This record gives sequence, structure tokens and C-alpha cells, in this order.
Amino acid sequence: MTTIRPPAARSMSRLLVPALAVVIAVWAGLPLLWMLLTAFKPDTAIRTSHPTISFTPTLDNFRNLFLGGNRVGAYLVNSLVVTGVSTVIAVVLGCLAGYGLTHWASRYKRDVAFWVLSTRMAPIAAVLVPLFVMFRGAGLVNTIPGLVLAHLSFNLPFAIWLMSAFFARIPESVEEAALLDGCTKWRRFRTVSLPMARAGIVTTAVLCMVFSWNDYAFSSALSGPDTATLPQAAGALVTQSGIDWGLLSALAVVVAVPMLIAGLAVRRHLVSGLSLGAVTGE
Amino acid sequence: MSAGLDTAPRTTLRTRAVPPARAGRARRRARPPRGLKTFEFAMMAPALTVLFVLSWVPFVILIAMSFAKVRTLGGVSLTFTGADNWSAVLGDGAIWASWARSLVYFVAIVGLEMLLGLAVALVLHQLVRARSVVLSIVLLPMFLAPVLVGLLGRFMLDSTIGLYAKILQGVGLGDDLLASPSTALPTIVSIDVWQWTPLVALILLAGLTAVPPATLEAATVDGAGYLRTLVSIILPQMKPIILVALLVRSMDAIRYFDIVVATTNGGPADATKIIPIKLYEFAFRFNNQLGKAAVLGLTMLAFSIVMARIFLRFFGERPSIAAGDGGDRG
Amino acid sequence: MAPRTDAISRRQLLAGGASLAALFALQACSTGEKTETPKGTAGGGDPWKQFSGTTINFISENTSPSAAIAANLAPFEQLTGITVKVQQMELDKVVEKCKLDFSSGTAQNHVIYADPYQILAPMADGLADLRPLLDSGNYPAVDKGLGDFIDTQLQATGSFIDDKKLFALPYDAPTMILHYRKDLFEKYGPRAKADLGFDPTPSDSMTWQQYLAVAKWFNENARSDVAYGIGAQAKQHDALQCDFSNVLWSFGGDYFEKGQSLGLRGSEEPGAVTVGSPAGVAAATFYRDLLKVAHPSSTTWDWTGLADAFVAGEIAMCPNWHEFAAGEEKAFPGKVGYALLPKGPARRAHIFGGTGIGINANAKGDELGAAWLFVNWATSPQTQLMSLGSKVGGGTPTRTSVYELPEVKAEEGKSPSKFPNIRTAETVLKAWQAENIGLRPKVAQWVELDTIIFTELSKMLTRGADPAATMAAMQQQMQKAMQ
Repeated sequence: MTTIRPPAARSMSRLLVPALAVVIAVWAGLPLLWMLLTAFKPDTAIRTSHPTISFTPTLDNFRNLFLGGNRVGAYLVNSLVVTGVSTVIAVVLGCLAGYGLTHWASRYKRDVAFWVLSTRMAPIAAVLVPLFVMFRGAGLVNTIPGLVLAHLSFNLPFAIWLMSAFFARIPESVEEAALLDGCTKWRRFRTVSLPMARAGIVTTAVLCMVFSWNDYAFSSALSGPDTATLPQAAGALVTQSGIDWGLLSALAVVVAVPMLIAGLAVRRHLVSGLSLGAVTGE
Repeated sequence: MSAGLDTAPRTTLRTRAVPPARAGRARRRARPPRGLKTFEFAMMAPALTVLFVLSWVPFVILIAMSFAKVRTLGGVSLTFTGADNWSAVLGDGAIWASWARSLVYFVAIVGLEMLLGLAVALVLHQLVRARSVVLSIVLLPMFLAPVLVGLLGRFMLDSTIGLYAKILQGVGLGDDLLASPSTALPTIVSIDVWQWTPLVALILLAGLTAVPPATLEAATVDGAGYLRTLVSIILPQMKPIILVALLVRSMDAIRYFDIVVATTNGGPADATKIIPIKLYEFAFRFNNQLGKAAVLGLTMLAFSIVMARIFLRFFGERPSIAAGDGGDRG
Repeated sequence: MAPRTDAISRRQLLAGGASLAALFALQACSTGEKTETPKGTAGGGDPWKQFSGTTINFISENTSPSAAIAANLAPFEQLTGITVKVQQMELDKVVEKCKLDFSSGTAQNHVIYADPYQILAPMADGLADLRPLLDSGNYPAVDKGLGDFIDTQLQATGSFIDDKKLFALPYDAPTMILHYRKDLFEKYGPRAKADLGFDPTPSDSMTWQQYLAVAKWFNENARSDVAYGIGAQAKQHDALQCDFSNVLWSFGGDYFEKGQSLGLRGSEEPGAVTVGSPAGVAAATFYRDLLKVAHPSSTTWDWTGLADAFVAGEIAMCPNWHEFAAGEEKAFPGKVGYALLPKGPARRAHIFGGTGIGINANAKGDELGAAWLFVNWATSPQTQLMSLGSKVGGGTPTRTSVYELPEVKAEEGKSPSKFPNIRTAETVLKAWQAENIGLRPKVAQWVELDTIIFTELSKMLTRGADPAATMAAMQQQMQKAMQ
């Protein structure tokens, strides 16, 4: 990030700002740190009314997560497949449509853009029931393709929305130059625009991935025992002999770590991606 | 519903008639008036077709269900009952109360996240050392699955073993925050704020980098007038990006209910029973009440469309946004 | 966006409606048909092996018997060659999943943990009638016959309205009894007795008023050892209804006119809603008083939360499902005692939470056959004995013969015990007697009624609503839901 520091910021903010920054970091990070620690704690160190940080670390929670009756391994595979496939489809179709929308000269452009946006805004609870009825008719309930399609219902509009913003940033002069060179529109898209929007594609892909990976509501209504995804396992760990917080923390670590890494990797692009995203309206 | 929704499917419906190859060769200058036989539209066609199926078919099903008694066991069957579901839902005081609660919830999380997000962004912007480390830490919560965030909140606040509960008990706040109707909703709001303030901060930070350094400098030097400068000079310059953050957050604030499900699931005393929870109950718990669920679904959809309209009206005033550029140069 | 568009969207709507109708016409349902009795081709004549190679799914609440079975499926797989995948989740989730699965027209989950009130009664159409399977000569017979199941449990968990059909075989039998910390009562008992004038240790003669008095005494005198005298499962959740029902019945109230008689077979005509009766109001008033002295986090606890708090040493006693005994034995070996719940003015009532396992009506062919073999095996005396000794939970047998086994009898009340849940057997067997058992009304609308009940109670407990007004509101809403 370009850091243009106001020189005079030195005065009062020299102490205050770092202090506030520490407070903010603790606020955001402490629960996650606690979760991480809990994942490595033995049960006795968790079930105590005096939360402690002195304990003998153990991998038992992770072992129990993947072995034993929890079947988390199968969930993990489902999650990978659903997330992967739905992300790829969303990004490919999103690139095409995003580009099309950006350059489409029509008086319906705004309406289409709005419609795309509104499908992303549709409340999950409202969509679940009819989607279930529809999938039931099509035999898609409890199937991986069904889940992929369900995830597309929110990721596709999002990808279109974001990609069209990225394409809109490419200077018109560049595009026009390509056309003058005798390129067809398709070639211009493939050889000029697409490479220039690389950052946007990565950002879009990562965000779609995060949404799909973290989805709970859709997969809990539309997946069956053979197609359940990772967040579903969370429900299974709330057992009758007590909520197993150790297992749950281990699961949270398994679910969160890939997303945290991916998210931080594209952090920079995220800023411009999200902030520009909203200009699609025009 | 809204006018915006009406136009879309009409355009998409025709899409299928346009083979992409031919459309690609279509004349560039003399476009058909509706812009349907263009290269650009052909590129949009596959995505819009998928979206059409995923949004309009459910929408029609939702409407049909809202006028019927729906049975699903042993085969789906609809018995049309006219406006019974509508009058039952609209005449139900508990549902109106739930709407009021949902509005409070919505305004509270979006409002708080905007305020705190701005504060975090301002601090981070001023931070000289370790900014990217702090930023990385701050961003973490938004990548966690919301259902896990809810469970994590429950864990931290568990009155028997929770770290935060113990800290609060240490300072004399022994009450279980999720146990009382007066604190349950604020607690859930603060869990949501914890997860999503980072996103707002990230977006606003991008906006701040676009504000001329001189302006910011003036603000910081004159400590007493900081707030005034902020409100009268900096914020107006950031208006577009603030609206972006507002849109992004509002969109998801209406959508998600995972955190509530994982913490209180509507209780205590219905204090956190927001509309999506109510809908879920009708649809997946009670017998043969899918019709009412459909009515609630339609009203929720209407609400979200209205919200989108309002926001887009704002954006319509501003054709482009200069902010956010700093982002990918880093 | 004026009339022009409207016309088009109307046309679309019609088209959409037509395709919708086509969609619904796809339904291929088999309700009311007699369950088929498929014969497998594998295994070369061994009836247990005939469906070898089949994979079935079992969906269950995360109860200790299911944990025990999930951890010990090998014997079944060796016996039959059938692979069983067990999915365990909270009861609410099981109800949702079953509803979706039964509605989907296919069978994702073949064996169903059929809670009699939340799954069997509202969704009986989704479950297969087991009678034809029981009567068929194609399968191994049920060991010791149906007569070995405790009769009230067979009816309560297996039947709904039509006695000729059987939807599930009794699988577990959790029942609420009083759990208390013997060590605390040994320490404080004499002092409390001197102060209160009666023996505070929970026993079969304790009344609710005494229970309340003991709770208060602990709050005032035993803080150094235990935070509160009692806890309750008073989260806005099914658990609150269960906890309250014990009190309601013991005060002489009930949900419907036909009362306890609705508990076994259920009915479509349960009679008038009677929850707002004077007895109901008295029970609500008492329950509110109870919660005033209970651990303040009680209103966030369901049965699991309450059990967690008990195990963490936060409370001295509480009513809870007896199958939590195994976990308590781990935390306080030999220090937890069990007694009948306190007596009310009318009677003593222990809510029965037993559940049967049944088969998805959409299951067909080999999967149906394999599911039946599993149901047969999972409810057999040998399997129940195995579950009792499981490290991960501990079953709650539903068969008379298991309780009579000498090795089981020997473990009653013992600590350390091979079968920790059997520590409660003496108390539970008394709780199951006709005069002590508490049965919820088995009606198809139960989930909705349940929600009304626990929501109104939650309002009373946390918002200070008046008990009489609470019960009146409950009565009025329940009547509306029954129409």
C-alpha cells in the first residue's frame, strides 16, 4: 500500500496510535488465538472454570477429528470439490459476463446490473425453500452438482459484479488501440483485457472460494450424509455428552487456516477489488 | 416485486436464440436497439442463463407456495388456499415484532461496523510501524466461517469455561450475556461486529489513501479540531467509498443468520428471533407451514430489493470512484 | 417498467407455473403401501449376509448409544458385510434433515433416529411400517421377540395412532431423574438438616418445596464448594419444555384434556388444550420461583449445557437425562447420586425421552433390507450390552433381559463401574413405573406446540412475565396451532 505519511502525525499520535493499534489487534486476534490454543489443549485444560494458558500441548483433538466416528476426512473432500468447482465456474462465467456487462451499450444495462446485484442480495433463508423444491424435482438434492449450483447462486453474481468493476478500470485507450490493430473483440478480450485484469481474477477467485468454503446454510439444507461439507461437521461436534470445544476448535483451525492464508495472500487486491466493485451500477 | 426484476428475465430469455459465434460477427455500429445481438451480450449469456434459472424458477415457486398449503411428505403437493398464508403472516403480531427486531439488528450491525470500521481505518492509516502486521491480524475474523464464529462466541462467553465470561466476571459483570433478553441481541451484534468490522476497515482504508495527505496532515496537527476536520473535510471526500462499504455490509447483513443459529437460535424469550430464524422455523421445523415460510421469504426479498434500490440511487449520482487506487500498487 | 413489461412477466409467470406443475407431477410416492420385504442375493444362504456389500446411512441425535454404536460398528460389518455410515447431530438438526430427506423423494438416510414426538408423530408418513419386515421369513428373527422390549417403550417410541403399524423399535430410553453430588451432601448434609429441619439429601420422598429450600440453603451456605444449589435446562429450546413438564405433571396439570393417555399411541384428537388450568398456573409459578434460585446461566443451558455445568462442578443437583451418568462418573467417580425427581402436590413425573429407530419409507431393495438388519442388530440385547460398556458413551437398554443379566445387575450403583449408566438403573426402573413416568402428548403438531411452550416459558423466566398470563398465552396459541 502506498504510504504517504503526513509528517506532522508525529506529535500526539506517536503514542496514542500504536496503543490503539495494539488494542485493535488484541480485540480482533485474541479469540482466534484462544481458539488455536484450545485446539491443542487436552480436555481437562478446557473444561476448567479457570481458563489457563499453561498446559501440555496435544494433537489428540486433531487425531479424534479425522479418526473415530467423525468422518471429517470425507467432509473435507466434499468441501474441496464443491468449493473448487463452483469457484472455477463462477470465475470463468463471471469474467465473460463481467466483461460483457462493462462494454455492453444498451439502455437495459443498468437493469441487468441491478438484477445481478439483487440476486446476490437475496436472503439465504428466502432462497433455500424454493431451491430445495426445485432441486427435488431435478433430482439434485443431496448431490455434489446440486451443491455447486447452489453456491453459484451467490458466487456467480458476485463474480460478475466484481469482474465488471475490474474490467471497467482498464483504460479505454488500451482497448481501442487493440481494436484499431484489427483484433476481433474476442481476441481483444483474451489477449489484452483478460491479462490486465489478472489481479481482479485472483481476488474474485479467492473471495468466491471463501464464501463457498464457509457456507453453512445451503449445505445444511441441500446436502446429505454423503455430500456434507466441512462446516457441517461443526453441528456434529455439539454432542450430548457436552460440546467438545477441543474438537470444535481443531475443526475451526482446519476450516479457517486455508482461508486465512488465501485471504491474506490477496489482501492488497482485496482492497481495490471490493472498493471498485460497486461501480457496476453505472 | 420491483421493476428492476421485471426487465431482466425478458432480456435473458431471448439470449438463448443468439448463437455466440454469429453474435460475435454482428455489425458493430448499427446495433439492434436492445443490444441483444451483440458480442457483449453473447458473453453475458451463459452466466445470465444460469442466474435466471437459479433466481426466477425459485421466485415463481415461492409465489406459488405462498398461496398454497404445501405438503412435502410422500411427494410434494400444493393445495391452493388463496391468500390464507398472507393474511396469517400479516396478521401475526409475533412476526411484526420479529421484523422490528430484525430492523434493529440490521441497523445496529451495519451502523456499528461503519463507525468502528472508520475508527480502525483511521488508526491503521496513521500507524507507522508494523502496519501490515496489524492489518493482517485485523483481517483474520472475516475469513472464518460465520457458523464457527457463532460457536466461538458461545465458547468465549460460556459462563462456566469461557475466557471472556471469566474476564467479565472478574470486573463484576457476572451475568451470562446470552441468557438475558436485554443483552442477548447486543451480544450477537457484537459478535457480528467482531467478524465484519475488518472488512469495512479494509475498504475505508483504501478510501483514506485517496484523500490528499495535506488534508490528513492538517487534521492530525490540530488535535482539538480533529473531529471537526474529519466530519467536515475528510468524510465528504470519502463519501463514495463509504457507500461501497455500506452496500457490501448491508448485502450480507440481510443474508446471513448463521451466527444467530449457532448462538441463541432465537432465544431467550424470542429476543434474537429475527425474520430468517422465523422463516427457518416455518419451513424446516413445523409441519405443513411452508406456505407461511414462502410469504416471509417474499417479504424478505422485497426488503432486500428496496435496500438495493436505495443504495444504487446513491451510486447513480456518482459515475465513477477515484478511491481505492492505492490498493494494488503496495 | 409499465404495462408492457407486466404483460410479459405475467406470461412468464404462467410458463413458470406450468413448469412448476410438471415438477410436482414428478412425485412418485408410495405412502400407504405395504413395506416390501426384499430378499438379498449375496451371502449364500446366511440370512445375515444376504445384503453383503450394501452401504446404508444412519442419522441420529448425538446420544450416547449412537456414539457407542458408531465407535463399534465392526461386529455388525463382520456379521453382515453391510457398511453403515453414522451421522450424528443435535436433535433439531436431525428433525430438519429428516424432514428434508423424507420430502426429497429419495432415501439419503436409511435408518432414522425417530424421536416419537418430533419425528415419528409429525412425519409418520415418511417412515416405513416395520410389521411386514418383522413377520417376513426372509430375515433373522428379532432376538427374544418384541415381548422383550419394555412394553410402554415399545408403544411410546414405535407406534402412532394405528396400532397395527410399528414404525420403530425402542433404541434408547433416556429419562429425567435427579442427579446430585453425594460428596457435597455428605459435607453439608448435617448442617443443612439442622437449619432446614429435614434431611436435604435427595431421596424418593423429597418434595419440590424441599428441593427449592435446599437450593436456597446451598446458595447461602456452600459457595466455597459450589456456585449454586441447582441448575435447570431453561434455554429457549426443547429442553425447557422437558424440564418444565416434570413440574407441570407433578402439579396435576397437562397439555391436553386427554392427558397422559396421549403419550403411548398418540392421537389426532387430543381434546381441549388444558395447559392454562389452575394446576398449570401453579406449576408455572413454582417453576419461576425455582429458576430464581437456580444458577443464573440456566436460561442459556439446554440438557447438554446443564450437564456441562454439573460436570464442571457449578451446581449441587439438577434434573437431567439419566444417560449423562457416564460423563458424570468420569468427572466425579463415585460421587454422583441419583434419585427420583421431587414430588408435587399431585404426583411425581419423570419425562420419558426414549426414542426408537425406524426406516425411511423411501428406502428400497437391498438398502431397505440392510436397514432392517441394522435396526434388528442395533436394538438386540447383545448390542445393548456392548453399548453399556462403551468408552465413548454408554447405552440405555430398552430390553428387560438386559437389565436382568447377572453381569449388569452386579454393576448397579457400583463405582468404578464397567457400565456407568447402570448406576442409575435402580432409579430409572422406578421412574418408568406407570405412576411415575411422564409422557408428552404424541400429536403431529408437537414441534410447533413445543416451540410455543418453551418460547412462552422463556419469556416468563427472562422477561418477568406473569405466570398466569404466560399460561393463558400458551393455551391460546396452542389452541390456534391445533386448528
